[in-house]
Amino acid sequence: MMTQIIKRNANKFLKDEYDDLVKNHLEWNIRILESGSKPHSIVNGKEVIMMSSNNYLNLSNHPRLIKGAIEAAKKYGAGSGSVRAIAGTLQIHTEVEKRLAKFKRTESALIYQTGFAANSGLIPQLVGEGDIVISDELNHGSIIDGVRLTKADRAIFKHRDMSDLERVLKDSDKKYRRILIITDGVFSMDGDIAPADKIVKLANEFGAMTYVDDAHGEGVIGEDGRGIGAHFHIEGKIDVEMGTFSKAFGVVGGLIAGSQDLVNFAYNKSRTWLLSGSHPPAISGAQLAAIDVLETEPEHVKRLWDNTKYFKKELNSLGFNTGNSETPITPVIIGDSGKAKELSNRLFDEGVFALPIVFPMVARDKARIRTMMNAGLTKKDLDFALDKFEKLGKQLSII
Amino acid sequence: MNKQIGFIVNPIAGMGGRVGLKGTDGVVKKAVTLGAKPVAPQKAEEMLREFCAISTSPCDLHWITCGGDMGDNELEAVGIKNKQIIYSPAENTTSADDTRSASKILLEYPIDLLVFCGGDGTTRDIFTIVDRKIPLLGIPAGVKMHSGVFGINTSATAKMLYEFINKRLTIGDAEIMDLDEELYRRGEWKVRLFGVARGIVEPTYIQVGKACFESVSDDEVKDEIAEHINDEMEKYPDWLFLFCAGGTIDYVAKKLNIRHTLLGIDAIYQRQLVGKDVNEEQILMLLEKYPKTKILISPIGAQGFILGRGNLQLSPPVINKIGIDNIIVVATPSKLMHTPILRVDTGDKKLDHLFATQGYLMVVIGYRLSRVVKLQTNSF
Repeated sequence: MMTQIIKRNANKFLKDEYDDLVKNHLEWNIRILESGSKPHSIVNGKEVIMMSSNNYLNLSNHPRLIKGAIEAAKKYGAGSGSVRAIAGTLQIHTEVEKRLAKFKRTESALIYQTGFAANSGLIPQLVGEGDIVISDELNHGSIIDGVRLTKADRAIFKHRDMSDLERVLKDSDKKYRRILIITDGVFSMDGDIAPADKIVKLANEFGAMTYVDDAHGEGVIGEDGRGIGAHFHIEGKIDVEMGTFSKAFGVVGGLIAGSQDLVNFAYNKSRTWLLSGSHPPAISGAQLAAIDVLETEPEHVKRLWDNTKYFKKELNSLGFNTGNSETPITPVIIGDSGKAKELSNRLFDEGVFALPIVFPMVARDKARIRTMMNAGLTKKDLDFALDKFEKLGKQLSII
Repeated sequence: MNKQIGFIVNPIAGMGGRVGLKGTDGVVKKAVTLGAKPVAPQKAEEMLREFCAISTSPCDLHWITCGGDMGDNELEAVGIKNKQIIYSPAENTTSADDTRSASKILLEYPIDLLVFCGGDGTTRDIFTIVDRKIPLLGIPAGVKMHSGVFGINTSATAKMLYEFINKRLTIGDAEIMDLDEELYRRGEWKVRLFGVARGIVEPTYIQVGKACFESVSDDEVKDEIAEHINDEMEKYPDWLFLFCAGGTIDYVAKKLNIRHTLLGIDAIYQRQLVGKDVNEEQILMLLEKYPKTKILISPIGAQGFILGRGNLQLSPPVINKIGIDNIIVVATPSKLMHTPILRVDTGDKKLDHLFATQGYLMVVIGYRLSRVVKLQTNSF
């Protein structure tokens, strides 16, 4: 038999690069939840108070959502059989879209497979060569990827700085065909809110299109959690309100809400929408139920905010710095990265699951623990968590 | 392996400043007669003290240095023992020759970073010898510190050294500036780019996942800028492009296979060099032939000047003819961190006013990516 000459080791880089990540402590240590995402979760075998999930309203555990999922599966089956455009649009998909538009008080709405699919599928279609995308410097990675896929130019404005945005608009006005302003609605690191009303006003002056990624605002801010449009009372004025069913809605999936023109354009042009299979019916059933719950049970949003206000107030009175947060994302700013990691580890040992956010995600001296509130936590739970924060904060000389 | 740090102090740096000589080049004796006292050894010691205070294990470093006040005394004073002396000055009073001789010997050692104490003159002396072979970090002690290798003060230098050792800062370009001291003493400020050294820079980060970032090397950022300029040249095929001085632009030119004059201005038309190291007169002649022209410019030196300092060829008549809308400013994000304000001083009030009314400039910081940066003019 002839000996085969191996030209190259095709798979060697897989291990090499992973080892390199491990060496630099950059690999993801995946934590396993044995309990489902609950206010009290079992994480890696330990019961903890969950302050790291996006399940803000605890809807993932709501009986009506679970029932909705089961019934839709029973009626329509486990899978959808195709992509939306060919043979995978079930009646329940269109029902969700109709209900969603009503909830968002927009003319129309469209469901995407995920939020990432919405951003990376739609943004590259909205702009092209000769256009410019103007983006807040702290925008989320999926927006950045969406922008990278376009042939459009890109410009950055300082975080929430309207005069900086205006300067970029003035400069772009004379040079470009279309101008698209993109911002997160709620910024996921600091929990602050984009001044969408002012952005819309500036955009109108310059004939620019507005696109707000409201992933962390959907189900959280605005009347009954209707999102950023409702928060600023500018429903239907933001050209593209993008959001997600994966966070406060407690299910999974991305969405856009806006005009019928937008929706017609979006589903005909977004490659992510056209080329991935549609949601299984169980997902749609749960999505429908989530909208139902938000419309008929205002107590969840209220409890989320009551919890948020209480937790923030108590953290502040203990002497912690919680930054500029205006939402249920409450950063506890520690400063030093090592200390933030240490605090997070010790909190976990004591039964509180809150992840550290360190440099380079935030400035070198702004390392923090990011807590995300959950409507399912009781006052007793919050007091338990606060007690641990106080004890460990003192031990580590943070307060 | 432990890091090896080269360490050179120029003991006479900064002596001219105290007695109003605006520099010590060639006037040491005069400075001494005027009563000047050495300042650099003390600055070097200050930096070392601050470094030892923030570093958990300063002794892990191996210092390669020179005898007496050129390094050994300062290290000794703060109790750093892990050192090796590779050069000793012959006389008590040292000169630029000593700095150069010591640098030459240092080149034979595997050094990760050369920390030195002095001013622009010292930087040039060292850079002339080590070129881009060893990255430089300066402790500011001279009269003028326009070069990009310096920390803004001794404690900033100490922090940069600490962050570099802990791999949080990385190696990138740092411009070495040259100011004509003779002219400066007569009140004229004429700075030009002397060369581009390797220095310590803040890395650029891109988000690669949720709450997950990756640092991008300076060269990768410059690759993006080069790609952007490549697109611009395709978009404007019948335009002339003037490539100005500076490390970033030199990198861009290399990527585009253009043989560029690092320290001067070159004219490029349809990717061919049509003018090398051109002066004002030659540029004006080119503009007759190519009325549609864009200038590719990068802020140089620590002050962030884009016009009026390093590139006097870009005179007011030249700029007026080209139009300020046709100026493309490029800079890496790490560079902008150190120069958050761009400056213009064309010497022409009317032109400066035009820049002043604009107040801001769009700066290209990556592929098709730009951001606004504040612009200041001297007269307004």
